[in-house]
Amino acid sequence: MMQPVLEVRNVSKSFPGVKALDNVSFHINKGEVVGLIGENGAGKSSLLKVLNGIYQPDEGKVLVDGREIIITSPRHAFDSGIAMVFQEQSILPTLTVAENIFLGREEEFLRFGLISKSRMNAAAAEELKKVHLSTHPAMRCADLSFADRQMIEIAKALSLDSRIKTDVTILLDEPTSVLEQKEIELLFRIIGDLKQRASIVFISHRLEEVLEISDRVYVMRDGQIVQELAAKDATVKELHQHMVGRQLHHEYYREARQATPSAKTVLECVDLNRDGAFSNISFELHEGEVLGIAGVIGSGREDLARCLAGHTSPDGGNLLVNGTAVHFGAAYDATAKGVGLVPSERKVEGLVAPFSVAENMTLAALPKFVSGGIISFSSEKAVAADWVSRLKIKTPSTATSAGSLSGGNQQKVVLAKWRIAGVRVLILDHPTRGIDVGSKEDVYELVRDMTAEGLAVILLGDTLDEVIGLSNRILVMRDGEITARFEAPPGGKPTQVELVRHMV
Amino acid sequence: MTQEQRTRLQTWLPLIVLAVLILIVGIYDPRFFSARNFLSVTADTMTLFLMASGVTLVIMMGGIDLSVQAVASMASCILAAYLQQLGFLAIPLAVLGGALAGFIGGLASTKFRIPSFIATLAVSGVVISAGNWFSQTRSVNIPGDLSATYLDWAIGEALGVPNEIWVGAAFLVIMSAVLGLTPFGRLVRGIGAQERAVIASGINVDRTKIAAFTLSGTMAGVAGVVMAARLGSGSPTLANEFLLPAIACIVVGGTAITGGVGSIWRTFVGALIVQVVRIGMTFMGVSVFAQQIVFGFILVAAVAVTMDRAKVLVIK
Repeated sequence: MMQPVLEVRNVSKSFPGVKALDNVSFHINKGEVVGLIGENGAGKSSLLKVLNGIYQPDEGKVLVDGREIIITSPRHAFDSGIAMVFQEQSILPTLTVAENIFLGREEEFLRFGLISKSRMNAAAAEELKKVHLSTHPAMRCADLSFADRQMIEIAKALSLDSRIKTDVTILLDEPTSVLEQKEIELLFRIIGDLKQRASIVFISHRLEEVLEISDRVYVMRDGQIVQELAAKDATVKELHQHMVGRQLHHEYYREARQATPSAKTVLECVDLNRDGAFSNISFELHEGEVLGIAGVIGSGREDLARCLAGHTSPDGGNLLVNGTAVHFGAAYDATAKGVGLVPSERKVEGLVAPFSVAENMTLAALPKFVSGGIISFSSEKAVAADWVSRLKIKTPSTATSAGSLSGGNQQKVVLAKWRIAGVRVLILDHPTRGIDVGSKEDVYELVRDMTAEGLAVILLGDTLDEVIGLSNRILVMRDGEITARFEAPPGGKPTQVELVRHMV
Repeated sequence: MTQEQRTRLQTWLPLIVLAVLILIVGIYDPRFFSARNFLSVTADTMTLFLMASGVTLVIMMGGIDLSVQAVASMASCILAAYLQQLGFLAIPLAVLGGALAGFIGGLASTKFRIPSFIATLAVSGVVISAGNWFSQTRSVNIPGDLSATYLDWAIGEALGVPNEIWVGAAFLVIMSAVLGLTPFGRLVRGIGAQERAVIASGINVDRTKIAAFTLSGTMAGVAGVVMAARLGSGSPTLANEFLLPAIACIVVGGTAITGGVGSIWRTFVGALIVQVVRIGMTFMGVSVFAQQIVFGFILVAAVAVTMDRAKVLVIK
């Protein structure tokens, strides 16, 4: 039998109250791509952190090329041939591309004790070629797009393979969650090339992708590996079932509950324009409608969403709420008119993590809970408890800090916040990013509930599938302009191919 | 140390430290253990507490107010300069001067988007000049009869307890209520914990910040008035050497310098700790001029203990 390049044997790791890893065994062979999937909290990140030397396992061992090693730090992992590409970027924006790629390894380019920039840039250019990136190595990373920075992150991990004698394993933690279709295809091509030289662990919430790229797939649940299967025999549905441990009997996007929007326009854009972001944006949003916006990164849809929520101001055109022209100078202008945004960066803009569930829920509507200048804690608690049960939020109590909940439950708290504030227009920017399959379905259910109550939703979906499945109408954006509009009634949905044609 | 243990330690440590320090000083000099002495030590602490209570709000918001020492001095000058002329009205005037200084610091910090330590440092410079102008660069005496008429509420005695303590206790209750029970207090905490989420929730964060700086200036003004009453004079350098102990007592009490966590009673306990240390040093013959060295050490040690540095990876 072939010797695995990396093996984890019976590893367990506990934290107070949680068994993060429970007797996990896992191996990867040379030249293999192994998918690792599981709901949030299933233990994927903990496993990666053990492999990357951030956590030390309580029990069990890690073997590289059949030799047991104790990985003490990310740097040690790197030197042992294990490179990690982080979900949250580790690129330093003020350094150049080359400086980022070789961060911590500058001694390779020393000449008379000083770094030779030309040699470093030349070496970086080689690495960039591997990821088909035409960026100049001397460019500052701050000047690059988000997706390009992600590719540099990957280039940084790949640079290991030309520098180390042993076999290389690359851990990709949700590398595609911020990439758009074109970049994902490129990444998959790169992974294909890379299999000649390295082994890859691929983690993603997008199960189609996992099946497409992997040879074998491990499914984790509750800290254990519950299933190991060959990718070629598996289906997405099967993976879903193993992950959640139950049948997915509901129809995924709740199309049957898709409401017919009323004729009443709640929000309207007329030739809205923001320099360098988007232009000539005109559309109407109706009561009870889900309006999806599709587009790649750089299409301007994120900028548009933030502008509609008052986070930025337009440079031209008109924005009308309930038929009245409005000008939003800040987020509080938008909330005053009943427009709220569920941001994509949940932990930064969505929640005040140390605040309790109740405090987060009432944050956007605090004046409603004040009498005589003092917060009414009892009415706050009662309202929060009501929403906890309505949205089936899993939390020990309304006084629990929101940051300690799982991603899906955190997102429900953010949604409850806007429902309590009584917004009539809710902009959802990647509402299911980084949350597990079960919670995604809950969020879809909540979107249907909201539209049934007459709220209007603008959706920037995490996947095209999601946009298509949930929306009544879809706008496609490219280079800051609307390039196509689709009606998407249940049973008459456009296909991904139709949308993509207008996206790129 | 688990998170829970750390939290518990952070809650009780200031009180334990205070008790231990009192014991040490008491063993060194048993006269320390008398009700009379405890009252006088507490009374001596109140000006420091009053000044620090306002800064606590700013620090909880993740900012800092470096102008309070200058503001308190200026307030003492306003009081001393106008007490003869305006009587009781000189008191709100002095406090108002403090509020205005705080307001300007807050306005500068939010509107020009500059760090609060720079904004308040700049205000500090302006306020020092203002103090010199009000006092014509001298120490201004408050005559005994005026003091007895208008300032007895601050320096007299009621029910056998020095009035400084009553004033301090009143502001302890008021400021705790502001922080714990009002929407303003909640937003202060929220801004310190995750400002961007508060902004995204449709809150006018600038308004809250300006209010917090104004309150900080107001409390510095109150502290200046009480200080002037106690010393019987106003002077542009009256509150010098107070800034370091004021910030020390906030962090010694366990309020996180990084924002989001803290309370007024912690600052109260912190102020007592600082005072007992000061007395202890005096007993042990440490020169007043060397005491600032000790406060510098305490400041660093307290921040090191209270900050959850496992979470803060990078320090700037």
